Amino acid sequence: MNYFPWLTTVVILPIVGGSLIFLFPHKGNKVIKWYTICICLIDLLITSYVFCYHFELDDPLIQLTENYKWINFFDFYWSFGIDGLSLGPILLTGFITTLATLAAQPVTRESKLFYFLMLAMYSGQIGTFSSQDILLFFIMWEFELIPVYLLLSMWGGKKRLYSATKFILYTAGSSVFLLLGILGMSFYSSNEPTLNFESLTNQSYPVALEIIFYIGFLIAFAVKSPIIPLHTWLPDTHGEAHYSTCMLLAGILLKMGAYGLVRINMEFLSRAHSIFSPWLILLGSIQIIYAASTSLGQRNLKKRIAYSSVSHMGFLLLGIGSISDTGLNGAILQIISHGFIGAALFFLAGTSYDRLRLLYLDEMGGMAIPMPKIFTVFTILSMASLALPGMSGFVAELIVLLGIITSQKYLLITKILITFVTAIGMILTPIYSLSMLRQMFYGYKLFNTPNSYFFDSGPRELFISISILIPVISIGIYPDFIFSFSADKVEAILSNFL
Amino acid sequence: MEYTHQYSWIIPFIPFPVPMLIGVGLLLFPTATKYLRRMWAFPSILLLTIVMMFSLDLSIHQINNSSFYQYVWSWTINNDLSLEFGYLIDSLTSIMSILITTVGILVLIYSDNYMSHDQGYLRFFAYLTLFNISMLGLVTSSNLIQIYVFWELVGMCSYLLIGFWFTRPIAANACQKAFVTNRVGDFGLLLGILGLYWITGSLEFRDLFQIINNLIYKNEVNIFFLTLVALLLFCGSVAKSAQFPLHVWLPDAMEGPTPISALIHAATMVAAGIFLVARLLPLFIVLPAIMNGIAFIGIITVVLGATLAIAQQDIKKNLAYSTMSQLGYMMLALGMGSYRAALFHLITHAYSKALLFLGSGSIIHSMEALVGYSPAKSQNMVLMGGLTKHVPITKTSFLVGTLSLCGIPPFACFWSKDEILNDSWLYSPIFAIIACCTAGLTAFYMFRIYLLVFEGYLNVHFLNFNGKKNSSFYSISLWGKKEVKQKLKNKNFFLALLRMKNNEMTSFFIRKIYPHRINQNVKNITCLFFDINYFGTKKTACLYPNESDNTMRFSILVLVLFTLFVGTIGISFSYKGIDFDILSKWLIPFIDLLHKNSKNFVDWYEFLTNAAFSVILTFLGIFIASFFYKPVYSDLQNLNLLNLFEKNVLNKKVADYFQNVIYDWSYNRGYIDVFYDISLITSVRKLVQFNYFFDKKIIDAIPNGIGITSFFMGEAIKYVGGGRISSYILLYIFYIVIFILIWYFLFTNI
Repeated sequence: MNYFPWLTTVVILPIVGGSLIFLFPHKGNKVIKWYTICICLIDLLITSYVFCYHFELDDPLIQLTENYKWINFFDFYWSFGIDGLSLGPILLTGFITTLATLAAQPVTRESKLFYFLMLAMYSGQIGTFSSQDILLFFIMWEFELIPVYLLLSMWGGKKRLYSATKFILYTAGSSVFLLLGILGMSFYSSNEPTLNFESLTNQSYPVALEIIFYIGFLIAFAVKSPIIPLHTWLPDTHGEAHYSTCMLLAGILLKMGAYGLVRINMEFLSRAHSIFSPWLILLGSIQIIYAASTSLGQRNLKKRIAYSSVSHMGFLLLGIGSISDTGLNGAILQIISHGFIGAALFFLAGTSYDRLRLLYLDEMGGMAIPMPKIFTVFTILSMASLALPGMSGFVAELIVLLGIITSQKYLLITKILITFVTAIGMILTPIYSLSMLRQMFYGYKLFNTPNSYFFDSGPRELFISISILIPVISIGIYPDFIFSFSADKVEAILSNFL
Repeated sequence: MEYTHQYSWIIPFIPFPVPMLIGVGLLLFPTATKYLRRMWAFPSILLLTIVMMFSLDLSIHQINNSSFYQYVWSWTINNDLSLEFGYLIDSLTSIMSILITTVGILVLIYSDNYMSHDQGYLRFFAYLTLFNISMLGLVTSSNLIQIYVFWELVGMCSYLLIGFWFTRPIAANACQKAFVTNRVGDFGLLLGILGLYWITGSLEFRDLFQIINNLIYKNEVNIFFLTLVALLLFCGSVAKSAQFPLHVWLPDAMEGPTPISALIHAATMVAAGIFLVARLLPLFIVLPAIMNGIAFIGIITVVLGATLAIAQQDIKKNLAYSTMSQLGYMMLALGMGSYRAALFHLITHAYSKALLFLGSGSIIHSMEALVGYSPAKSQNMVLMGGLTKHVPITKTSFLVGTLSLCGIPPFACFWSKDEILNDSWLYSPIFAIIACCTAGLTAFYMFRIYLLVFEGYLNVHFLNFNGKKNSSFYSISLWGKKEVKQKLKNKNFFLALLRMKNNEMTSFFIRKIYPHRINQNVKNITCLFFDINYFGTKKTACLYPNESDNTMRFSILVLVLFTLFVGTIGISFSYKGIDFDILSKWLIPFIDLLHKNSKNFVDWYEFLTNAAFSVILTFLGIFIASFFYKPVYSDLQNLNLLNLFEKNVLNKKVADYFQNVIYDWSYNRGYIDVFYDISLITSVRKLVQFNYFFDKKIIDAIPNGIGITSFFMGEAIKYVGGGRISSYILLYIFYIVIFILIWYFLFTNI
């Protein structure tokens, strides 16, 4: 290749830089923290530079491709490339990881390992989104689990081992289906394995076999997204993890499932997707209402936000299942949008916990007077979560609904029912969201003991909150920026369904 | 000035710097921003005044030229879909813009003094200006998506302002109730917008109406589906304008500060629903079922609001139900197709009700000096009375607003309300009779408020009139004897302190300001009684409410002028060929659009006949209110009449029975809130509990069960081996035998 290997650079840099952390002297968490932040910033800046100057937005093909033969025995390549679909998630990964590193300030125990794991996770994420080889995709997918498991099991609440074990069993178990699907697709056409995404796109299978592959991949991605009934690992995980880890989980990790659904299930297995999309839409509608009503019953603040995440993923299913330009664009926008909003809400919940040391909503109250800044930002982001116009969540949900309406695939009665059921989520979301606000901040409470933790947001926390709020409002006001990434790729994907 | 309209797009954005600066300042430089404090009021008022000038100019052009302007720019999503944003300036827009800006300015001026003691002063002004921006954006929107965007923003601002005093649990619950109820309406609105988009492929108003007319003409659209879509669109208006059955949020919205009740819940936000129906009337008018439905909802709301207002103790809740009833009149007018009458009443009612709310705010402000910062006391009309002597300007202003709302000529609401009543006779005699009778009810409850608040003597101190103690019970016995006793006990406690202090030549210091009022909600009431300074010379004056400051009175007096004269814009009167009917000229494009036969003259005889009928009913309502609520120790009491009723025991029992029924209906809000609690809220809670149980015990239990099963199986298998070599050999031989048998059978088959 004549080009500089940009993607390999942005994938390798965090983990190599992270490895050097262990060479640092044993004193001074501050040095380690700022070193990690610099690594994240450099990586993000390189990514932005490459995407600005070396990426053509109107080209639906894979760009910045890199191919290095890794294992000659069965044609395994180190193969990276990006297109309109992966551009947004990669930028989101860089952005959220940098802010999560900044948010991890309170972590003081084993901070070297903590920051290394964050950087390792960073590499795994970008590797997954950049991979153009299905086995490499799987390797990156599995590689992701190790740092997350360690982050969950070593830092967090009392039941963190239980949550971490649950997480690893769920995701490792689902990866079995992913591996079976990958092997099946690879060895189907000939004795030589076909691993490259580009080759797999042109491959065709009998319908029955395609359905089996689809189900296998769907289970794997359903656990990761998560999609009910395979979602119960998420509330436990979020409930016990440190909030910087929650930011990574909510902001980035969950997006791998949605990315996989579009990249593999929709692009490679088109006919099976046509068969399964009504079920996806049905599942999405049920998920929106089910998760919203379950969220209302949670006493734990973080679990409530976690179920809110599950509810918003239902819109993703609707967009993916609508098989329309508008719906799929809306789904991709929802990936980006919820990444920001979910990460921000968990950050604010974590900063509140740092002060109150309470996680159960019925024990809280009266926080608005001593902490007006947290109250302000929390209110704004709750409004973003319930899809207030002017925020990115509203645009995403509106466009998904318009995608359902304009889809050519479904009958009018079906559209009416789906839209009606989906819109009920609009009523349930403010109930649990505003209830959360009311129980945390409203009311009056006499804090008898002068608690040293009780101070409002400092510059660091305010910076993180506003940094996430600015893209949320910017996308809400001008969503064309995100759509310009994905519009051409979406048209290319949907041409398979004509 | 021919090209003024080109810059109309900035109408919503002129006031925008104020909340931006306050918000950023409070986040980054809280101390410096708070230090400026009241200076923030000036840019708010100044920028809104600029918008008002702009709107006035546009309106003058509308009246003279009957023109409208529209401009659009768009977001392109893909080749199939683009979201378009722009503005649409026509008669409806200019009317609403003037209304929003004039009432908004007066409320901002009023709030400068009313909220000056509040530590949330800056937040209040930021919220209020944000609301004005959203409302202006809503009325200038050129398509349904844009209206929906600002519709939601208006709902958010309402949520923030109702919950402004969020330390009070009642306010916290009220703002959430308001938001969720409005979201139910928004749910219908969004579905209607999506359905309309599916039918027509466009969301622009002009395109929309033309396409639908073409589709209906060619019979290419399902009328039932179109009716369903229109009904869903109407749901948004039902919630926003507090119409039955989504009216339950409006009385609770009175938990917010009084200035926002005047602006949002009387004049502007609740008018957004009327605005939307008026905007979509070209669509609705081709669907007779929808028009009848709108009128029906309107008449129900008219009656419900009036009956619920009859026995409320809270002065602001009374006015809230009154607002609900008057909005029902406007919906009735729109449902009948009386476009002009509906907008006319919208204008006149906005100013009159804003006047009443600001007047009630002035009263509440005064009462807080006596009873402390407690809405249950300062807004309770039972504790008021006899304020004529203490707040004469407020009394006169309130009387003007009351007479206007009752429909007494020549005040503003008389002209608009009687035009609606006049049109309703043509529409349906039953609706007309109901509407006229409700006009009498309006007079009853409005004069009930007036008499309880201003006539008689201040009831906070009613124990001071020991010689008339027994008579005092009579005037408040309608609220139930047990309640009176409980209140009596409470008053005894506080007033005992008062008497004790009075003996020591002490008195209240009314004007003392508590800078941390919210934080010391409980302590404050106690402080009011104990924090007493010695004034030997002003004992009497300090025990009673006082008139408000000049800025509050200024706003009230300006609204008095509006209430007196704004009705003139709609009077149909010709003199020597010159037509003075400004409103009709203003609305010419809509009248032509609706193919309505605009009369060059109005049948004054018919109008006066119908007006006389409604005015008679109004005076009957006033008389009944005077009979029930005129204090018995008034100088003019009619003892003979009272004795006549007292002696007739049989009639008294029957009258008491009906009295109690009416009271229970009103006090319990028509039992509708209870019904919602039992049906909707309980159902949602059961759904939540079931889902929680299902998620935790069934879905989550499966993987947990697998995990635990694996654990126990491991424990069980642990003991199978035992470490004995003979056991291992036995298992080994066992499996070899099985293998040989299987192999043998396979070999035989082959």
